[in-house]
Formats: sequence, C-alpha cells, structure tokens
Amino acid sequence: MNPEVMTAPSIDYIALLPYIIVGAAGVIGVIVEAFVGRNGRRPIQLVLAFGSLIGAFGVLVVNRTTLGLQAEGAIAIDGPGILFMGLILLLAILVALLMSERQLDPAGDAFAPRASALPGSDDERELTTRGYFQTEIWPLFLFSVFGMMLFVTASNLLVLFIALEIMSLPLYLMAGMSRRRRLLSQEAALKYFILGAFSSAFLLFGIALLYGYSGSVEFSVIADALAAEPGQTALVVGGVALLSVGLLFKIGAVPFHAWVPDVYQGSPAPVTAFMAAAVKVTAFGALLRVMYVALGGVRWEWEPLLWIIAGLTMLFGSVVAIAQTDMKRMIAYSSIAQAGFILIGVSTATAEGLYASIFYLVAYGFTTIGIFAIIAMVRDAGGEMTRLDQWAGLGKRSPLVAVSFGIFMFALASFPLTSGFIAKFLVFESALAVDNLGLVIVGVIASVMAAFFYIRVVVIMFFREPVEGSPAAAVPSATTTLALAVSAAVTVILGVLPEPVINLIEQAGVFLR
Amino acid sequence: MTSTDPSAAEAVVFWVCAFLSVVGGIGLILSRRAVHSALWVALTMISLAVLYIANAAPFLGMVQIIVYTGAVMMLFLFVLMVVGVDSSDSLVETLRGQRVAGILLAVGFGLLLAIGLGSALNGVPVVGLDGANGEYGGNVEGLARLLFSEYVLAFEIVAGLLVVAALGALVLAHRERWQPRRTQREISQERTRGGIHPAPLPPPGVYARHNAVDTPALLPDGSVADISVPGPLRARGDLRPVDTAAVAETAALTSGEATYGPAKRPVADDPGTSPGEPS
Amino acid sequence: MSVDNYIILACVLFTLGAIGVLVRRNAIVVFMSVELMLNATNLAFVAFARMNGNLDGQVIAFFVMVVAAAEVVVGLAIIVTVYRSRRSASIDEPNLLKY
Repeated sequence: MNPEVMTAPSIDYIALLPYIIVGAAGVIGVIVEAFVGRNGRRPIQLVLAFGSLIGAFGVLVVNRTTLGLQAEGAIAIDGPGILFMGLILLLAILVALLMSERQLDPAGDAFAPRASALPGSDDERELTTRGYFQTEIWPLFLFSVFGMMLFVTASNLLVLFIALEIMSLPLYLMAGMSRRRRLLSQEAALKYFILGAFSSAFLLFGIALLYGYSGSVEFSVIADALAAEPGQTALVVGGVALLSVGLLFKIGAVPFHAWVPDVYQGSPAPVTAFMAAAVKVTAFGALLRVMYVALGGVRWEWEPLLWIIAGLTMLFGSVVAIAQTDMKRMIAYSSIAQAGFILIGVSTATAEGLYASIFYLVAYGFTTIGIFAIIAMVRDAGGEMTRLDQWAGLGKRSPLVAVSFGIFMFALASFPLTSGFIAKFLVFESALAVDNLGLVIVGVIASVMAAFFYIRVVVIMFFREPVEGSPAAAVPSATTTLALAVSAAVTVILGVLPEPVINLIEQAGVFLR
Repeated sequence: MTSTDPSAAEAVVFWVCAFLSVVGGIGLILSRRAVHSALWVALTMISLAVLYIANAAPFLGMVQIIVYTGAVMMLFLFVLMVVGVDSSDSLVETLRGQRVAGILLAVGFGLLLAIGLGSALNGVPVVGLDGANGEYGGNVEGLARLLFSEYVLAFEIVAGLLVVAALGALVLAHRERWQPRRTQREISQERTRGGIHPAPLPPPGVYARHNAVDTPALLPDGSVADISVPGPLRARGDLRPVDTAAVAETAALTSGEATYGPAKRPVADDPGTSPGEPS
Repeated sequence: MSVDNYIILACVLFTLGAIGVLVRRNAIVVFMSVELMLNATNLAFVAFARMNGNLDGQVIAFFVMVVAAAEVVVGLAIIVTVYRSRRSASIDEPNLLKY
C-alpha cells in the first residue's frame, strides 16, 4: 500500500490547436453574450465564428504532417481524421455564411428574435420590431463544430460518446429556434432530442459491452482483444450491434431514420443545411473509424449488417421521396437515400471503400449546402415556400437560381459531369472490387428511381406554368450568394476535374491505431 | 453459511435491490401520472446506488444518490410542477398496434440480449477491484488517477458540454424584459382601477362549517364567496357545494329565530355525501 | 456473486426503459425512461469494472452521469418550451409533423 507518485499526462496542446481554437471561440462567445451590449454582440460573434473556423482550418493545413495519437491516446490525428476535420470546417464556414444572412427575411435572420418568447405573443412581436437577434446561436454553433471535430478523431469510445453529445446538444437547441413556423420548429427539436437521447443510450450500452469484453474503451485495445481471443462473442456481437444503432441513427439510415424528415422540415434552413451536410459527414467519419480501427477484427459481423442496411436505406429513401410534395421532406428522404449509397463504401471494409466514402461525402456535403441555401431563398412573407407546386415556373422568374438548383438536382441524381456521378462511380467500383455485385445492382436500381424525382423538380421549375402568387426567389445578401457560388462551383468542378481531390484523399492514407 | 459470509450478504443485497429496481422500472411504465413515474424512477436509482456500493464502487454509489436522485430527479419533479402535476397520459394510440408492437420488439430485444450475455458471462471469473484500488491507496484515489491521466481529455471536453447545457437552458428560459419595469405606484393604480379585488382574497371556509381549501367562504350576509377558493380548484370544478340548510340554520341562530338545543333535523351536513359532489 | 446476474439485471432495466420510450406518450415520462436506460448502462459499466479488475468502468460511469445531467438540462428546457407554447407535454398531441 505505497501510493505511487502519479505522472502527469502528456498532452501536446500544439497538436490540439484546431480543437482549442474552435472550443475557445465558443467559450469567448458565451462571455461576450454576458458582458457586451446588445448591439455589439453580433459583429463580435461573427468575427469569432469566422475567425476561429478559418483559423482552425489554417492550423490544420499547416500541421497536416504531424500525425499521431494525442492526449493519452484519446484522439487520433491521422490522414482521414484531418480530411474529415477539414471538410467539417469548410462546410461549417459555408453554414456560417448562411446563418449570418439577414436580407432574405424582412424581419432579420432565420432565427427567432428570442427563443424564450412565446410564439405569437406580444413579446415576440415587440422584440421583432425592435430588431433583436438571438446571438447565442453562434457559441452553440461553434460548440457543435467542436464536438464534430472530436467525434471524427476520437480514438476512445468514451471521448466518442462525449463528443457525440457536445455535437448534438447544440443541434437540438438550434433546431427549435426558427423564426417562422415556430411551433413546427419546437416540435422538431423535441422529436430530435427524444430520439437522439434514445439512440445515444443504445450507443452507450454498446460501449459497455465492448468494455466488458476487452476491459478498455480504447480502439487499439479493443482491436487487440478481438485479434487475440475470439471467444465471448455475445458481448462482441451485442456491442457491435448496439454501437452501430447509435451511429446509424445520426446518419439517418433505415430503420433509424424516423427523425430525419420531421427535423429537416421543422428546423431553420441554415440549421438543416448544417445537419444534412456536416452531421452526416461527422457520423460517417466516426462510423468508418470505429468499424475499421476498433472492430476491423470482426468484419464478418458488421459487413452483412451494413449490406442489408445500405440496401434498405437506398431503396426506402428513393421510393418514399417520390411521394413527397414538400421540398424539405423530399430532400430529407433523398438524404436518407444518399446515406445508403455512402454505406456501400463503408461496408466494403477496404481502403478503396474508405476513399470512395470520403469523396462521396465531399460531393454530397457541398451540394446539400447549396440546396438549402436556395430553399431559404424561395419564400414569401410567411417564410419558406416548400410546397413543390409553389416552385413551378421558378426557371422563368429567377433563372440563375433555378439553374443552380438544377445543377444540384443533377448532381444528386448522379448525372455525368457533376460531382455526384464520380462519387457514385467510385462507391460502386469499390463494392465491385470486393465482389459485392448484389449491392451494386440494388444501388443502380435505387439511383434510377431517385433520378425520377430529382428530374421532376427540374421539370416543375422550368416547364410548368407558375401558379398564382408564387414569387421569384428573394435576393440574398453577399453571404448566401458566396455560399451558393462555392457549393455550385465545387459540384461542377468535382464532376469535371475530380483527380486532384481523389489524389488528396488517397494520399491521406488510412486510419491510425 | 454465516451472516458474515460476504458473498451470501451480497446475494441478499443483490436480490433485494434487483427486485426493488425492477419494480421501480415497471412502475415507471405503468403509472398514469408523471409524478408517480418520477418517484418510481427515484426508487430504481436508489436501489442501483446500493448495487454500485455492493459492486465495490462506494464513490459512485454516493454520486449516484447525489446526482441522480438528488439533482436529476428533483429537476424532473420541478419541471412536472411547472408543467402541471396532473398531466396524465392520454391512452389514445395514434398508430394502431404501435404499443403492442413496441412492447414485443423491446421484450424480444431484451430477452435476446439478456440470454446471450447471461450465458456468455456465466462462470466468468471476477477479478475484483482490490488490486486496482490498492494500487493508489483506495477507490477514490484510483478514480482520481484515471480521471487526471488517461481520461484527462474527456474531463476537459466535458466542460464544453456543461457550458452548452447552461447556455441552452438560459436561451430557452430567460425572458428578456423590453418594457420598463413597472413602479409600485403603477401596479397599485392598476389594481384599484382595474376592478380587481383590491384587498387580500377571503380565505376559504372562514364562515362555513369546514375550513377545507375547497370549501368556499360565506360572507357576513350569508352569500357564498367563490373567489375564496383557489383558481385551479374552481377551474377543475372541485368546489364543495355549500350546505344551504346549515347556512339557514346559522342565519336563524344569529337573528334569534332559533335557539341552541338538540338538533331538530337529521344530521345531513356531512359534505362527503352531499349531492353533486365531484368524485 | 457472479457478474452475469448484474448484467442480466442491467438488460432488464434497459429493456424496461426502452419499453417506456416506445409506449409512453408524455415527453417527460419518455425522457425519464431514457434516464433509466442510462442508469442500466452504468450498472453494466460498474459490474464489468469489477469483472475486469480495473477502474475504467467506474470512471466511465462517472462521466455518463455528468453527460446525463447536461442532457437533462437541455431536454427539460426544450420540453418546457414546447409545453409553454402548446400547453401540453404529450409528444403526440402536437401533430403538426407526422409521427
């Protein structure tokens, strides 16, 4: 009983700088909310948000060669990890551009003036006429990005779980803060929260079982334990299954997709863009890392599971999207279908599958942000006009907007010369490389079905006469225009010249253990 | 087997606490009222705290009681008070068969998990924590060492989570005052001019025969003062009807038309049996 | 006591929580059921810690409590907001969105 002297943990704070920049900006943002006057907050928050996101991205680029496990093995900063973090930061910058838009809605930005004021109350009206803004969304947004960066690089199931919560809690809050249709928005927040908490309980039970099996929550120890002794499989099978439930929920794969349409429809458009693009990238990043690094030794357990889920997700998303009459719900089901295609790449368990998934996520992320930028622009006095028939004749009234939306639709339908085509090609190729012809056939069938409703949108926009009272797209400010231009440019460039990005992804190598 | 046999004692503790915690869990599901559910969960959580202690985790057991039963469940109860204690569930199913399907699915899942894990873990040797605890001189010391070495990053990022929680609660709950704060003069003017009862309301049951909170007071002239009963009770229709016979008797006594003496009428003023009583 | 008793108890409680989430319609009760599931998980962590002979499980259970407390704060804030807007805590009654 001679207590040893404890050695201090070694943490290389320089290597963790990207996380620290974003997290610290969030904390400073909270302090700003407390001590700066009402009118001074917004400019400071904007500087903090854009500064920290761009700064973190810059540090990431500069530090891109220093790879390794950090903070006592809790975090793995490796090639794919840096790629995922970079992608998340770029998408977050675009989302921040959408969030700072103040010209589309005559009353201000996309968020309620005060989330605490009751919908339809005198308070709310007064605060709106006074032009108040809920600037707390910026620290919440930065914390969410902070959680995402940790989530894709976590090399320890406990950090994975905590990062998941840091990412999700701000999202639950932001989903309920829409300026228009607030009841719908609050209900979306409640539904997202309840189902999110439910799924994270499953994730946690999975972690418990894997801990029981290996005696540790570190990915490398779990992988070693799986390699050393294949016994006690009930713990492993249960752990893998429950862990997958938690991650697949965030991805929105069938049968864990129930929240996606409701939450996408109810949330403010910039937040939906954030969820559809960045959260999906993050969840796939974590799923890839967990499956490839920690659970690579029981590949035969989760590969069939992912095949089935990928097939179901593609078919279900594509079929149900056809029946939708609401633009946001249609995009939600389309994002479910897209998740299925990415799962094909994940389920191969090869380096090619990893690269194909990352490329798909890059293409999908930028396209999605463009789509929601335009959805936020097509509106009337009451808010966004999301009924499909209200989009009729948009091509005549706002040709430029309609053409960009057409590009995004063609990309999601994976027409040649768009990013979606290359992405789908790479994913199918990686599946064929492991002789999984069946899944590719299902994928092609789902793509053909999906193409139907994407093209239907284009037809409605360009060849249908506008109905009475459907106005042209509102003129956005420079921020939304910039986000839209960037996402349209990436969508086209990745379709025409994908090689540089593919090379970049392949140079990144595989996950570290 | 003696009473000091640790494994036998643990078995007793386990079965008692396991029984109580499962009862609490079932109570959570079956209680119609949310408050009862909360109390059942509290029972489960306390039982689990005892089980933690039995499992060589005394520190966690105490934290469980402080954090879960002390803070989390109290927060739930506070919110239930805000939302309304009697917010009971509607038993209407929005999707037909959803409830049965849900139960079947969950029970199937639970059985699969319990049987699989139970058989896998049956007879697995338990290492015990004596070694791990002894290494640093105790359970709390060992936890502290892990917390500040291997899990130090998790410890640091949890701070972010707590900031988000505090900020989120503030954003949703803090109402910003935009009109100037009203002075006491304005409040009192509004009260006297608005036709509201300016003085304190009469307390219930003062002049009546019962001082229960749902019994309305009688004013000196014998009329019934409904405002003496709290608003929520009135809204629910939980007013006790005034026993008019007793009122008449009182009036007769006061005016001298009747004298004190043996009761001239059957004792029927038990409010529990009066007609129109809400059950 | 062998560890399997504790784990089976954890499974039973976890299942009861899941049933509560699936069956009950009151948002607050549903959320309490989620808390029950997290508690069941903690029991599994503690039992596994003893089985494996290291304290990691106890530290994780400790973190889970912190996370759960943060989640409770945010969740109850959302529930109260929805309630104030609609005067109902049922997750079905507001049927603007399809469930």
